[in-house]
Amino acid sequence: MDFDILNSAVRIATPLIFAAMGGVVTYQAGMLNIALDGFMIVAAFTAIATAYLTGSLTIALIGAIVASVLLAALMAVFNIRLRANIFIAGTAIIFLGNSLTALLLKGVLGQDGVFTSDRIPNFPVIRVPVVDGIPVLGALLSGHTILVYVAYLSVPLVAWSLYRTRWGLRLRVVGEAPEAAAAVGIDVDKIKFQAMLISGLFCGFAGAYLSLAYVTLFAREMTAERGLIALAAIFFARGNPYRTALVAVLFGGATALSVRLPQVTGLAPQLLQLIPYVVTVLALVIVGWRTTRARNRYGAWRFDLG
Amino acid sequence: MAPESTAEPPRKSTLAAVLAPVVQPLVAILIATCVGGLLVLALGRNPFEVYGILISGSVVGVPNILVTLQMMTPLIFTGLAVAVSFRAGLWNIGVEGQMLVGALLSGIVGYAIHLPWFLHIPLAVLAGFVGGALWAAIPALLRVYLNVNELVVCLMLNPVALLVTGFFASHVLKAPGPTNKLPDIDPSAALPNFSIYSQVNAGLFLALACCIVLALVNARTIRGFEWKLMGLNPRFAYYGGVDVPRRAIGVMMLGGGIAGLAGAEQVLGQYRAFYDNFSPGYGFDGIAVAMLANFDPIGVILAAFLFGALNGGSAVLQMMTGLSKYLVQVLQFITVLVLAAQFSWNWLRRRPVAALAQEPERSAAPDLAHPSGRQA
Amino acid sequence: MQEAVLPHKGLPPVVRMRDIVKMFGSFVAVRSAAIEIGRGEIHALVGENGAGKSTLMNILYGLLERTSGAIEVFGQDVHFSNPRQAIGYGIGMVHQHFKLAPSFTVAENIILGSEPLTTYQRIDRVRAERETRELSQRFGLNLDPRAIVGTLPVGLRQRVEILKALYRQAEILILDEPTAVLTPQETRELFATMRSLAEGGHSIIFITHKLREVIEVSDRISIMRHGEVVDTIDNDNVTAQQIAGHMVGRSVLLRVEKSVARPTTEVLLKVDGLTALGDRGERAVDDLSLEVRAGEIVGLAGVQGNGQDELVECIAGLRRPVEGNVAICGTGLGPKPSDNRDAGLAYIPADRGGVGLSLESSIWENMTIGHLPQFSRFGVFAIGKARDRAKQLIACFDVRGGEVEKPAKSLSGGNQQKVQLARELTRPAARLIIAEQPSQGVDIGAIESIHRTLVEMRDAGRGVFVVSADLDEIMSISDRVLVMYRGRIVANLLAAETDTEEVGRYMGGLDGEPFGPSAGDTGKGLADGA
Repeated sequence: MDFDILNSAVRIATPLIFAAMGGVVTYQAGMLNIALDGFMIVAAFTAIATAYLTGSLTIALIGAIVASVLLAALMAVFNIRLRANIFIAGTAIIFLGNSLTALLLKGVLGQDGVFTSDRIPNFPVIRVPVVDGIPVLGALLSGHTILVYVAYLSVPLVAWSLYRTRWGLRLRVVGEAPEAAAAVGIDVDKIKFQAMLISGLFCGFAGAYLSLAYVTLFAREMTAERGLIALAAIFFARGNPYRTALVAVLFGGATALSVRLPQVTGLAPQLLQLIPYVVTVLALVIVGWRTTRARNRYGAWRFDLG
Repeated sequence: MAPESTAEPPRKSTLAAVLAPVVQPLVAILIATCVGGLLVLALGRNPFEVYGILISGSVVGVPNILVTLQMMTPLIFTGLAVAVSFRAGLWNIGVEGQMLVGALLSGIVGYAIHLPWFLHIPLAVLAGFVGGALWAAIPALLRVYLNVNELVVCLMLNPVALLVTGFFASHVLKAPGPTNKLPDIDPSAALPNFSIYSQVNAGLFLALACCIVLALVNARTIRGFEWKLMGLNPRFAYYGGVDVPRRAIGVMMLGGGIAGLAGAEQVLGQYRAFYDNFSPGYGFDGIAVAMLANFDPIGVILAAFLFGALNGGSAVLQMMTGLSKYLVQVLQFITVLVLAAQFSWNWLRRRPVAALAQEPERSAAPDLAHPSGRQA
Repeated sequence: MQEAVLPHKGLPPVVRMRDIVKMFGSFVAVRSAAIEIGRGEIHALVGENGAGKSTLMNILYGLLERTSGAIEVFGQDVHFSNPRQAIGYGIGMVHQHFKLAPSFTVAENIILGSEPLTTYQRIDRVRAERETRELSQRFGLNLDPRAIVGTLPVGLRQRVEILKALYRQAEILILDEPTAVLTPQETRELFATMRSLAEGGHSIIFITHKLREVIEVSDRISIMRHGEVVDTIDNDNVTAQQIAGHMVGRSVLLRVEKSVARPTTEVLLKVDGLTALGDRGERAVDDLSLEVRAGEIVGLAGVQGNGQDELVECIAGLRRPVEGNVAICGTGLGPKPSDNRDAGLAYIPADRGGVGLSLESSIWENMTIGHLPQFSRFGVFAIGKARDRAKQLIACFDVRGGEVEKPAKSLSGGNQQKVQLARELTRPAARLIIAEQPSQGVDIGAIESIHRTLVEMRDAGRGVFVVSADLDEIMSISDRVLVMYRGRIVANLLAAETDTEEVGRYMGGLDGEPFGPSAGDTGKGLADGA
């Protein structure tokens, strides 16, 4: 048995977990933030461009986060202050992120589809002393970059913030009953704004991880709908951070397995690339089936198509 | 008294709102132009020069105009597809995928079947429509029967369509040779072309006809009225006797079909074969077109002309300055973003925070922003 | 007990609002209103819907900012731009629609916004629950701090709201239509709480339009009309008619004038053994049977949330029953709402903005839906004809401010209700009329005309089924009164032979036990006893 696959599952799940934690925070605040991909692609680009220009991973990471949070702020201004429909604004942000980074790829780095360079430093791999030697655990827990550990540690941090702190209580109430929060003087828009910025923060990590750690290159539309996949995981787990992360990890495992498949089966690459999308749509179908069955059992009709 | 109501927009109450359909797109374009100009400046170019090239490269001289007409044809289809769905309250942003599937079926019918032209062309075009409609049926059925957010499904199905059609073009039905494409279509299936300067073809007239037909349907028929009510308030429409689930599936499939026509036009009129990954994102441009047109079919023609011109001009821009065509996409989606804020034009008069607290009834209305899969 | 409060009269007022003006755009919601609230008094604020009561109080609570005017609280000039500031000055507000988060606990709802903290900004749950328990005992409002608010009956949720204000050390309590959702028995308990709070020095502002209650509980009464406080009077030898006259500016009839009903034997609505589940899967309607005959008005009384909504949704075809049958004019339920309409149903929903009207659409469009086949020729829409008809209906039903092209949201609540009536009642096939909360959010003048229309419909041989949480409305319009409690009909009374008191007892489930586990679980046993 080859335990590398565990290692790669952990790594594949990392950007999903970052994005999903960003999505969980907005989900709990009552916003269906579909713009995660937009935040991520901008972060990924900023990360690689900064790393290329400065040679510093720290500055690159900070740059990625700043860029992503700025885009999140733009989203928040339009959705919260200007009351733009979150779906339309989110769609616009996704495509804006994709086209803007493609434009800058050409304009700043002079490349058309893909950019990479030897000058970009790599995140060092951390070997956890004792664990590294243990067969299964070693592959799981050791030999990752720092960002992987940050991702997994962010899950309990998000859960703690949501369920233990004052801010978390307020955020969850804002998501469930904004008028209840407003009535006791909580600034609903401010909390939503903060949630969106935190979403941007996590997507900043996700983007930097994608372009500097997962691979060391930037490609047009390289997030490959990971934001939407993360959203599906959130739906599936009904917004609970731990369960969301678990779904993301299972997803990473499935993807890691599927990467091995071409050697075994000789299938066309397109069909393998389909797997994440198909799995996500199936996850959404299961979620829909679950809730619809409950609703049908109650006999309630609902036709809110929006 | 009837005539002035033909193309009335869904929302109108005051004089300002009557003017809004004209003012808002212009303001949005203006803002996008300014932001884009700053971006160009930041990239070390002269924005006036860049915009000058965009304009002269698209509308100055007959050849450039013909290219613009060629570029606007798919945008009319995709814009109309998005507009039809959005007006009925369905977020169909899977137009890109629907177009690809439609194009694939058109391409197959175009080369695999041999018929006289007066049968072959309609059949191949119809195949495109059917392909797009069937692809759109997936999110529609999931939406109606399982309450799955159609927007997320649509976004996921776009890459799926690209990969599936790519699989056909590179494996199953691949034409001999290095390119991933289907065999060339028979000449009997080709939409006639009018000019040596561009590939503008009979598809343009089909697109214009679709717009006119849908404008009439919207303004003059029961079906159009039902779509509009669904978009404004589906519960009310359902209670009032509109078969909302069926109409929702129907309107999504109609939108998908129109998107498929964009694919048919590309394959039968421009490329004369289905090529893998042929679309530079016409389906996504369609979102911008529909938003700019405020979901009005006649407005779609104008908006498609604008973005078609920008797309046409961007090819020249790329040749002359090396600035990629993505500049045009950036402009488009800034426009969409600004237009999305249209619901809050009264923000200029009133602060939204106060507006929230002021009318509890309004905040109790179904909140689009709330996750649908959530349970109390 | 008025005497007990009068000594406070000499003290300076705790709230003094002067020349308050509030504009929404060009619309004047409140014009130069003035009001003074004394310490320890129960001050009723009455007026028609739209008179500006809630707006004025929302200004005091900081939810709205005044356009001009001055507010003094405890002698200090204040200008609140959010509730937090008002809370800081000891003002608390219990809204008509509770502002609670249903999936959170009582304690969480109470501490929200003023949370006790431990290290790292964590919420001190232990303290939160202890303080909640202490507070509820101190004011005699028994509540379990750990109960999930969504599972509590309405009366207890209101207590959570009151405790929420008291937790913030509110000394001035604004209660917005607090009795709208309560049984008469719960109302009495609320009044007892209000009195004991007032005796303890709290000032209570009681917004209502139920004049009987005003006379029963308040010390002073301020009457609002068209955004002004037209009068403030001591509650001393005033009658409901006098107050009502002040409210409307003319004397009004509080009773509906109608002849004796002559119901035929024809059953227009027959509900037989109906069981339906609510949105959370509870048995909202439990083996319920009822009949409405041609030529009678049947009123369905009951505290909100006892399954009325689900029952009406089943009849209207918006919810599928689990068991049982519904027949409209002899025809069983079809799969779509339009089937029931074709069978003879005219439904005037309470949810005007959601189901009954499309507020963004024009009036003619709102009047045309449901009549579409009439204007269709091979699918082509005869818009001109639809508009002409709407014009006639606007005149016929006296829709004030109604222009065919204007959006429905530009109308007042009463006139929106008239648009619904016009659309529903003009369908020739409509024989059974279901009016859900017909007077909710409707001013008195329009209530009169709506009630008159319903009586006319009855006299024309149609059947009318009125579902209302307003017991006075039920008593004044119905020929027969049904009382719904926990998904069942617990009483079937002739209106002429019963009174508010008796109906109220049934509404509370006969012999007390108004609180308990959520509706449905135990509905069976209780209803069997009835």
